[in-house]
Amino acid sequence: MTPSESTLLEMRGVRKTFGPVIALDNVTLNVKRGEIHGLLGGNGAGKTTLMNVLFGLYKADAGEIAVDGRVAQVRSPREAIGLGIGMVHQQFLQVNSFSAAENIVLGTPLRNRPTLDLTTPKQKIRALSEKFGLSLDPDATLESQPMGVRQRVEILKALYRDAKLLILDEPTTMLTPQQVDSLFNSLRAMVKSGLSVIFITHKLREVLTLCERITVLRNGKSVITLAREEATEDTFIKAMVGEEMNIGRSLLFAKSSYETEIAQVGSKELLKVDGLSVEAASQENQVISDWSFTLREGEILGVAGVAGNGQHELAESLMGIRPCKGKVVFDGAEMTTLVTRDLLARGIAYVPENRWDDGLLPKATVAQNLILGSHRRPPYSNGLMLNLGAILKRSQELIDEFKIKTESPQSLAANLSGGNVQRMMLARAFSQNPKLMIVHNPTQGLDIPSTEFVYNKLLERKRAGMGTLLISENLDELFLMCNRVAAIYRGRIVGVLERGQFDAYRVGRMMSGLE
Amino acid sequence: MKQTFISIGNTLIPYLVAITASFLAAGLFIGMMGFDVLKAYETILLSSFRSPGAFAQTLVKFVPLLLQALAFTIPLAAGKFNIGGEGQLIVGAIGAAGVGIVFANLPIYLLLPLVIIAGVVFGALWAAFPAWLLYRFGINEILTTVLLNFVSFSLIDYIATEIWRDPAAGHPTTVPIGAGGELPLLMERTNLHAGFIIAVLIAVLVYIYTNHTSAGYELIATGANARASRAYGINVRSLFLLSLILGGGVAGLSGAIEVAGVHHRLIEGLQSNFLLLGLIIGLIAKGNHFGVPFVAFFIAVLEIGASSMQRTMSIPGEMVFIVEALILLFILLSDLVRKK
Ligand SMILES: Nc1ncnc2c1ncn2[C@@H]1O[C@H](COP(=O)(O)OP(=O)(O)OP(=O)(O)O)[C@@H](O)[C@H]1O
Ligand SMILES: [Mg+2]
Repeated sequence: MTPSESTLLEMRGVRKTFGPVIALDNVTLNVKRGEIHGLLGGNGAGKTTLMNVLFGLYKADAGEIAVDGRVAQVRSPREAIGLGIGMVHQQFLQVNSFSAAENIVLGTPLRNRPTLDLTTPKQKIRALSEKFGLSLDPDATLESQPMGVRQRVEILKALYRDAKLLILDEPTTMLTPQQVDSLFNSLRAMVKSGLSVIFITHKLREVLTLCERITVLRNGKSVITLAREEATEDTFIKAMVGEEMNIGRSLLFAKSSYETEIAQVGSKELLKVDGLSVEAASQENQVISDWSFTLREGEILGVAGVAGNGQHELAESLMGIRPCKGKVVFDGAEMTTLVTRDLLARGIAYVPENRWDDGLLPKATVAQNLILGSHRRPPYSNGLMLNLGAILKRSQELIDEFKIKTESPQSLAANLSGGNVQRMMLARAFSQNPKLMIVHNPTQGLDIPSTEFVYNKLLERKRAGMGTLLISENLDELFLMCNRVAAIYRGRIVGVLERGQFDAYRVGRMMSGLE
Repeated sequence: MKQTFISIGNTLIPYLVAITASFLAAGLFIGMMGFDVLKAYETILLSSFRSPGAFAQTLVKFVPLLLQALAFTIPLAAGKFNIGGEGQLIVGAIGAAGVGIVFANLPIYLLLPLVIIAGVVFGALWAAFPAWLLYRFGINEILTTVLLNFVSFSLIDYIATEIWRDPAAGHPTTVPIGAGGELPLLMERTNLHAGFIIAVLIAVLVYIYTNHTSAGYELIATGANARASRAYGINVRSLFLLSLILGGGVAGLSGAIEVAGVHHRLIEGLQSNFLLLGLIIGLIAKGNHFGVPFVAFFIAVLEIGASSMQRTMSIPGEMVFIVEALILLFILLSDLVRKK
């Protein structure tokens, strides 16, 4: 095979601007037949935008796309699908009350339209799902399905439409480690049968285990394309962040120098939870029953567990969003009966797991997003009137400090990139300077420097004697930052490990109910 | 300040394009029907400014259009659709007329405020019912608010033909309200009444409420994402309730002003097509409370132009309604195009 024959997709000189913002500038991407091609880059580097151009959602200002060596016009997703391109977005567009099969065939021409007989489509779906190990029940409605299955539905949507090239935008953020493994196996089976995959992620480890070649974007430009064998983690970090980050002094890479500081805890109890019980948020979730734990000043307490084992219920009940039984004492005062507004006012802040649904006001400005929850308190308000000057000033400070990539505080929040939405959630919570912070997967979707930044901010809080409840599915993160980690399984606390006893194998067993 | 300049330009340009395109399309029709297109344009756009009387007429029309638009956009800010402005106007008018007739002998400084307040309260109560159904049972407010419009038609018919009927009138009409309940005139030899000042004041208050207060911020946040707003301590269900009741109050006010300022009695049909125009205004302004009064004024100009065109040129006034609908359509289209 000559090099050009092995090339499936070529994007050349792609440029895309949004008003004054240059999201993509002269970007080149080359994907071969039968490869998994990694797309790396910091938050706001342009990965999602590039894929949206490829999928016909955005019209590029300049540049061309060639599929199978032929230059193609991609003016709409329909045309993209016609060219054999399929895309799995970060947020799925699914009809919850429909079955998996119905969701998959939705929008395709059906032979038996009047009777809606899905026998033939279902056979095709079953065949695909077996071939690539994407197991699901075509007849189950999506409502009650976990994230992993919903994602498989999206992938099957593309395969059902005969995609030759599958785009996956940060597919692993919402998956458990087991689901990630199963996804990787499916992707490997796909490329083995000749498909190509573009895989976007922030996790270097995933790129290095899965992808044959990797393209790095930085500030809307394609910096470099490397084969996996040619490169190490360091190469990619350098390519992604330039010389911005000092790896030698980094919390992430030079952990041991921070050990004594992280191990320190105050003596005073900040939060005392006694016999907490909460109803499950949905069918796939667990009921919390009878949890008791304490959190001291200056402590970072971790909660480790596979998603759906009570984390969401814990966070929402402590924030007063979800009703609960039991006794919760914060800073010496009973707070079980308080509503969310009072809890926020008393110095508890929250970073929800699901930033799109529980955190973001898409149609509002970045500034309006940043003040959510503090909008009745100084400096933003005197209780009655908003102080627009103060809001803009403080927002600009937060945008600068948390490096939120936006044109101005008055830009629409919906236009932020995924990672920048997360930065905005964090800026909102940290800016309240809360005595207690409840953060749920705080670094999801963040690039490496931002993750590092968040860890440093958590450390800063610790020095100031503030408490943090860190709920996370990322054991590395928990072991790096926490003083103690509680492992949960099926709505129960299985055990609490002290720093020094941390052991991934042991916690893994506890989280899966083996201990 | 350069930035705000650009963004104002960016918002205005689609409007100018939409207006131009709609007029061109309407011109095409008018021309095909064999009328003088340029004269028609001139009549539509300039009739309002030909005489003080015509201008006053425009402002009188502007009042219910503005208030109906606000009755729609206040709940819209919280993400709720009040399509019942018409019924709330009628019931507000009934309340106002009732007070004006029963207490006809009170002096103006007592009767006028009572008439206006009765309109607001009755309109708010008429909206409170669907609001409560939404709050308590989660019943969709679009359906209930629309249905209550039909109930209000029967109600006004009953009152104007049975309770306070004016036997001298051919059309279902009540006897007049007391002179003390009439809104004073603002300009001599015109029918511009003080309701204009009330309407402008309400528009300013609504703008301040939604854009400059913490409570109004909660309304906007709820409309942007109710689930997230709840997670950050906003009582979104109460806000749904409140916003619909406020909208109803404003619609009721427009009814009271029609009674106290224009007809001085209750007349069946006084709601005209204000609801529909109010919806169009609210949607063209995209719910922006700074923009609503300007759009309402523009639509009032078109409406006055339409009747003048019908009178002097015999071109059907519905032509202008097509223009208004097209403007809305083009505005919505420009949003889609700009997304790419
Ligand atoms: N519709 C839009 N309007 C204005 N700006 C936009 C729009 N879409 C994207 N941008 C901007 O383009 C830049 C690139 O965004 P993009 O979503 O492609 O980043 P990304 O690489 O996917 O980042 P992340 O890792 O955070 O998801 C960002 O600065 C973003 O704010
Ligand atoms: Mg992205």
